[in-house]
Amino acid sequence: MKRAAGRDPALLFVVAWLVLVLLTGISIWTAFLGLGVFAPAVQFGIAATQAAILFILFMRLKGPPSLKWVFAGSGFFWLLFLYGLSFTDYATRQGWPHR
Amino acid sequence: MPSRTIAPELQYADLAQQGDTAQLGMWVFITTETLFFGALLFTYFLYRNAYPHQFALAARDAVLWCGSVNIGLIMTSSLTMVLAINAAADGRRRALANWLLATAFLGVCFLAVKGFEYYLDYGDHVVPAVNFIAKPGEAPAGELFWVFYFVATGLHAIHLTIGVGLVLYILLWRVRRGEITSVYYAPLEVVGLYWSFVDTVWLFLFPAIYLVGRS
Repeated sequence: MKRAAGRDPALLFVVAWLVLVLLTGISIWTAFLGLGVFAPAVQFGIAATQAAILFILFMRLKGPPSLKWVFAGSGFFWLLFLYGLSFTDYATRQGWPHR
Repeated sequence: MPSRTIAPELQYADLAQQGDTAQLGMWVFITTETLFFGALLFTYFLYRNAYPHQFALAARDAVLWCGSVNIGLIMTSSLTMVLAINAAADGRRRALANWLLATAFLGVCFLAVKGFEYYLDYGDHVVPAVNFIAKPGEAPAGELFWVFYFVATGLHAIHLTIGVGLVLYILLWRVRRGEITSVYYAPLEVVGLYWSFVDTVWLFLFPAIYLVGRS
């Protein structure tokens, strides 16, 4: 399983790390901008971008074996089910939230 | 450090197939973990959506500098982990050992900061059922925020502790015995996957805990 040649260079990971740090800084900055109801969307959007960088580069989703995409995608797929069905349930409940 | 000739287990045609199978096994585990932490975050979103003002009020006591230092530590540890894997792939054993040591050290630093933060939390009277005083306007949902905080960060800390243990196992046992080589380093890659996933979880906990009270 000699894949040294197939691995990304260290410089790419360092640059990716710098991007992650920069995105964290932006995320903290947005907390003080008074974005109101849009703040969570921006902050979790940044977190999702950072997670994508980690998954694709650091966890080598882009490398072989390509079957990894099926496994990683299935987790995302079931997470969509979990959130979609559960939020639908709570959004249509009578008397929720309790006051 | 000695180097061994490693043969594939009986059920595999070669080391490449064995390594790929190990990686896929870890991805299955990560899928289950995604749902585990995903369900936890769902409860957070549900109650934050239901009680936004109480959650924001309660979250103002979350110690931002601790969370920020920790996100820096854990992201850096993901970098040192992939550099360790690169060193293994290149057959640079000294660098491999050093990067693994740095990864474990950063993980321990994260846990130390987390422990100090818990100490500060206790002083702020935000520990539900143990030492909790509700601030005006945050009851009753404010306490729910802190329940989420301790459950989520506690579970994350347990995962990270296991990760530190795995890194030390690879460093002190597999590397020393010459079982991680440029020919076969799948065990290290598998631990690296787990480590970066634990990092990913913190990326989502960070805005959920530390930024909500300041937006």
